[in-house]
Amino acid sequence: MTDAPLQLSIRDLTVTVEEKTGARTLLDRVSLDLAKGEVLGLVGESGSGKSLFCRALVGLLPSQSLRLAQGTVLLDGEDIAKASPEALQAIRGARIGMIFQNPTSHLDPVMRIGDQIVEGVAFHQGLNRMEAKAAALEIMRQVGFTDPPRQFGNYAHEFSGGMRQRAMIAIALACNPEILIADEPTTALDVTIQAQILDLLLDLRKTRGLSIILITHDLGVVAQTCDRIAVMRHGRLIEIGEKRTILKNPREDYTRTLIASHPSMPAETAPAAALTQEPSTIKLRPLVEIDDLHVRFPVGGGLLSRRKTFSAVGGVSLQILPGETVGIVGESGSGKSTLARAMLGLTPLSDGHVTFDGHSLSLKRAETLKALRSQAAMVFQDPYNSLNPRLTIGETLSEVLRVQKKVPDAAIPARVEALLDLVELDRSFAGRKPRSLSGGQCQRAGIARALAVEPRLIVADECIAALDVTIQAQIVALLRKLVSTMDLTLVFIAHDLAVVRALCQRVVVMHHGRIVEEGPSETVFANPREAYTAALIAAIPDFDPDRPLSGRSLPLPPLKGQPA
Amino acid sequence: MKPRPATLVTGLTILGLFVLIALLAPVIAPYDPIFQDAAARLQPPSFVHLFGTDNFGRDILSRVLHGARIDLQIALIGVAFPFVIGTVIGALAGFFGGLVDAILMRLIDIILAFPFLVLMLSIIAILGPGLTSFYIAMALVGWVSYARLIRAQILVLKNSDYAMAAVSLGFSRMRILFRHLLPNAVAGSLVFSMSDAVLVLLSGAAISYLGLGVQPPLAEWGVMVAEGQSFVTQAWWITLFPGLSIVVLAFGFSMVGDALGELMGVNE
Amino acid sequence: MHRYRFILTRPLQFLPVIFGVSIITFVLVRLIPGDPARVLLGARATPSAIANVRAQFGLDEPIWAQYFYFLQNLLKGEMGKSITYKIDVLPLIATRIEPTLALVFSSVLLSVLIAVPMAALAARNRGRPVDHLVRILSTFGIGFPPFWVALMLILLLAIAFPVLPVSGYGSTLGDKLVHLILPSVTIALSLSTVLMRSLRAAMVEWLKSDVATAARARGMPESIVFWRHVLPNAVAPTINLLAVNIGWLIGGTVVVESVFAIPGMGQLLVRAIFARDYMVVQGVAMVFACATVLVNFLADIATVAADPRVKL
Repeated sequence: MTDAPLQLSIRDLTVTVEEKTGARTLLDRVSLDLAKGEVLGLVGESGSGKSLFCRALVGLLPSQSLRLAQGTVLLDGEDIAKASPEALQAIRGARIGMIFQNPTSHLDPVMRIGDQIVEGVAFHQGLNRMEAKAAALEIMRQVGFTDPPRQFGNYAHEFSGGMRQRAMIAIALACNPEILIADEPTTALDVTIQAQILDLLLDLRKTRGLSIILITHDLGVVAQTCDRIAVMRHGRLIEIGEKRTILKNPREDYTRTLIASHPSMPAETAPAAALTQEPSTIKLRPLVEIDDLHVRFPVGGGLLSRRKTFSAVGGVSLQILPGETVGIVGESGSGKSTLARAMLGLTPLSDGHVTFDGHSLSLKRAETLKALRSQAAMVFQDPYNSLNPRLTIGETLSEVLRVQKKVPDAAIPARVEALLDLVELDRSFAGRKPRSLSGGQCQRAGIARALAVEPRLIVADECIAALDVTIQAQIVALLRKLVSTMDLTLVFIAHDLAVVRALCQRVVVMHHGRIVEEGPSETVFANPREAYTAALIAAIPDFDPDRPLSGRSLPLPPLKGQPA
Repeated sequence: MKPRPATLVTGLTILGLFVLIALLAPVIAPYDPIFQDAAARLQPPSFVHLFGTDNFGRDILSRVLHGARIDLQIALIGVAFPFVIGTVIGALAGFFGGLVDAILMRLIDIILAFPFLVLMLSIIAILGPGLTSFYIAMALVGWVSYARLIRAQILVLKNSDYAMAAVSLGFSRMRILFRHLLPNAVAGSLVFSMSDAVLVLLSGAAISYLGLGVQPPLAEWGVMVAEGQSFVTQAWWITLFPGLSIVVLAFGFSMVGDALGELMGVNE
Repeated sequence: MHRYRFILTRPLQFLPVIFGVSIITFVLVRLIPGDPARVLLGARATPSAIANVRAQFGLDEPIWAQYFYFLQNLLKGEMGKSITYKIDVLPLIATRIEPTLALVFSSVLLSVLIAVPMAALAARNRGRPVDHLVRILSTFGIGFPPFWVALMLILLLAIAFPVLPVSGYGSTLGDKLVHLILPSVTIALSLSTVLMRSLRAAMVEWLKSDVATAARARGMPESIVFWRHVLPNAVAPTINLLAVNIGWLIGGTVVVESVFAIPGMGQLLVRAIFARDYMVVQGVAMVFACATVLVNFLADIATVAADPRVKL
């Protein structure tokens, strides 16, 4: 890439925010170059300033208290950092286009998709309505719309997440830019869709000669798509270079941590297999037994139309042994969260049986619920929404202890402190409310609340999905420690297969409300029997830069699942 | 948006001032509010009568000060009963759902089908004019908005992760509803109650203006506006000052409501 | 077009509401202590008139049977006779609908014409003096009692511009329009502040939204961002607000009609209450309630048209 002409050259870009106490630096002298046709991966965790950097480039600072304090941005040799608002506006879209993480919120909900593409075409290329529409249809075809003339008139909410992201790419392309800034374009998507979108971006680079800055928190994504990697932290660019160099020989400690935290890297300590304490030949009574479970929800329906139902879980059977760590994986809508809730008696069962420790939920509901409430607990995806915002962590924990009555009232304060120690939170956190905690700290509090029950079973529903990778790794390590020291049974639900592989002994793969495959993690990941599982595994962005990105070739498996 | 304490301070100062006036009216009012001075009819504002006098020779300033007692009472009582009734009904309906909820929602739909003032007037027509009738009508009609608001909030919070967590931890239903859901749900109603206070104040004054609420010779701002109506072009002061009092008091409630909304992050 | 299918099915859902409305109005009037026939006909009713009403409304029979007669009469369009006007209630109300309708319509139109530009001006200059001015105005405006504003307008115009009529309605179209100016300005001064507040808030929200950021990121000038992306998105919730406020608006017309002596339904209601003309009170309340239901229905249609995501 070094021989290609430079397209963008940024030197010492600095952004400050005006506060009462004075100016604070958010971006600290960031410098980087982008060659023509290059894909540059910009990696960092939340708060590293990677998104702000890209917005600063095109003069779209998100607040009026932010200021571009110094630096130059040379676009084809011309400094645009000090350009007038009008000049910047002419550059935005037409020369530097952007796509964003959440297509749902960035697409205009009340304007037809086609019109949003036409808007860009007509404005930047000065075409009349008819010509612009023809051009828009052509762009829609390019980004993978199957039936552009019909889909032209649809609204954003009528498309799936993947198609919305394609629509956003189409809208960016409508302005015919030379550089595309993609801000976490696949974070909100399922892994198979993610692969398709990344594939599309690479394809567009080839056909249109686009230069791309790809912002992401996922090193796996950059490893497979980018030419060079830049790592940002706390508003500074700490390392930049060829992707192979960075991945193999990172210079900075932080980059090393990032790489080590990536779930696809085998953890240095205890792989999942080491957790198996006893050979499973010993006949144990299952702690949880699920037999042909169906969960259906009513959808729509009213006075005149017939009630329709949606089947979230359709005929699932599963046994979980005491002390086991089971991972349930699947994409969004696969029914894995519903299964978790059904397991804990939190959602009505339509058909089938759930048995906990010998009590059947469908036969002796009250008795089983009593057992579940005192011996099972759940950890949720969004740590902030799962804690009562008005109560301090200490109040939340002591309330659970009081209700559960397993600890005498006098011992509650000591027990709260012990729980905080257990999840490695400072004891002073007892006096703080969820809002003042970071995501990782909050999730630790959520785990402490679950432990307050002194449960035998913990169901963790996507409990790391909302966290940064280094924090994810910490929480996984904490769960691993708890499981090995406390005689816990853990059901770990995730869409991230790599994490499950690192943590769980057994894995259950769900698709469309059914289990398509289950078995020991090692076996399933090494030799998936089902095409769907294989596709899921193949779509995980891997660290190996030489492995091809599998997106387009993804076989959509038949539901019955013939062996691949 | 950052909370701006200035709004809260201004609002609270205005409300505090009116409370003070209401409490001290008999002390600070220069004249008896219903004393008719035949010699001083329709006097324009002067140092003797700061706000002038009406056609019976009553001192407008004294009447405005005494009016604060009644109008403040209208706003407070007219909000308090609907707030409590509506919150309890809405919380129970939203939390337990089922048939009772369905019936209550239909009842709310029906009550909301009537224009607020029309239903108030119809009830007052039956109970007979007067402040008591107004309060009864208010309690019968006003709870609806609070019930709807709380119910909607409870329905959302009921499906929140922390409600789910509370269920999974074995908390009782009453504990979940009253300790975990209601305190989080009530913020919106609190903000609404401030704009509702404005509505109640205006309705009370309007009904009194129409002659169906507070009865003369009692000093109430709506009544005073009505009494000054025939003289508006000759003696503007009779209507101007009581009206202004309503506007300023209402402004105080609105400011406090705005500030609370910003502080609690509630959008109406 | 199946999103609009509710236009056919929704009216069926009105039936229980209208039914409930009829129960409430029926119960309200029957709650009045004393002989219902005397209550309905007034103190000076002739014995034969009382006998007539007793038969027509089944007043000697149990209460549920009375309601049945009431409903039966309602379906025939008979709501009894007004004791003050000595004519049937329904034709009486019919003559009063036009002024009220005209007043409501002109007030809403005026309010929208004031609110949209003001809200846009404030939202696009957020934090500047003009924004603060609009915000303070709207906070004040909500607390303006219509009956007082009306008198102040009369006072102001009597001094500054004594041509506008301050009472009555007129007979020719032009005359009527002139008579409507002051009353609709009175209502619009309050209603527009409510709309202005909500519109401004929605516009500010959408100006900060991802949709606006995305439009700016593709080089759209601020005017296109505002008029093509922000305004259409901000309008949908405001339609709903207008519908919610229709009851409040009708309340406003009741008062304003009384101040300006406009012969509409509001004035009829207030006079009927004073005259204890309960048949008329009952009739007007019912007609107002049905009108509110109808307006909410129209607002639903408008909301569905403004926001393709809404399904009813």
